[in-house]
Amino acid sequence: MTDLSFTEEQRDCLQELINVAMGLASDKLARFLNTFVHLQVPAIGLVNAAEIPEQFRGQYQGLNSSMISLGFFGDGGLRGETILLYQLENAGKIAALLGYDDDATSEAEMLTDISSILTTTFLNGLAEQLDNSFSYAAPRIISSRDNDFISKLEQTAFHWQLALKVDIRYELTDYSFDCNMILLIPGEAVLKLKAILDNVLAEF
Amino acid sequence: MALTALICDDSLLARNQMKKSLPAAFDAEIVTATNGLEALTVLRGQEIGVVFLDLTMPELDGVGVLEAIKAERMDVFVIVVSADIQPEMQKRVMDLGALAFIQKPVNTDKLSAVMRQYGLI
Repeated sequence: MTDLSFTEEQRDCLQELINVAMGLASDKLARFLNTFVHLQVPAIGLVNAAEIPEQFRGQYQGLNSSMISLGFFGDGGLRGETILLYQLENAGKIAALLGYDDDATSEAEMLTDISSILTTTFLNGLAEQLDNSFSYAAPRIISSRDNDFISKLEQTAFHWQLALKVDIRYELTDYSFDCNMILLIPGEAVLKLKAILDNVLAEF
Repeated sequence: MALTALICDDSLLARNQMKKSLPAAFDAEIVTATNGLEALTVLRGQEIGVVFLDLTMPELDGVGVLEAIKAERMDVFVIVVSADIQPEMQKRVMDLGALAFIQKPVNTDKLSAVMRQYGLI
């Protein structure tokens, strides 16, 4: 059986690459919104994809939340799906920051745009450091404001082996919101990622 | 007498990247710290010539370290090495007395230029 688990060195390496990617994403977001983003160390966790729904049950079950999927495809078999989760009550505030006019834009359009800005800036920064480049599928709303959230997350996570959880708090000068990003990665892409991390580690 | 340099970063990878990026001409003993509180303990306990300081760290962040260095009037050069590249953050650390701001991942040429500018090599 192939080992998909990460060594402590690989985990530390990935954490640092994620920190740098977060720095790039926050800088872009700050310039875009003309505000300052207070950067914190994002908590990352690598778990079996099957455990994902249970991990988020407590945080989102029963609340109006939004779950948006974005597929990404890189070179050399590095691919996966990201899911951005946040409580729907945050969406209006984020939309106001982004300058959306409430009436003119549909909620679906607004949610996919937010996801795109938050997710792709981060993933582009990560890809750059992995000497890779990602292309993206169109964002897809898996769920919004319904209570069937966990079963929908189960259906999505079911297709993948490993999940990289990144808990992110975007704290702006006068407003903060929490969101969770989940990178779902298939087994062969995990092996590819481990090999890339080993290369980075071997350089130093 | 060779000086002592402190590398402060919570990531092992980043500490190793930093060590490896130091110019060969830099004659210094290297000590490390994994967060801001550890860095302050080192700074208060021994003579440190230069600190390579990360900003986003647990326990105490780099801004907190800079504030303590300023408040305690410590005589030490601080070069910030960070992923948080927002202009407002760069201005903030420079206002707190940092000599220079270097974007992560650290670039050897930029680092050498800064160190040469301040007579460290």
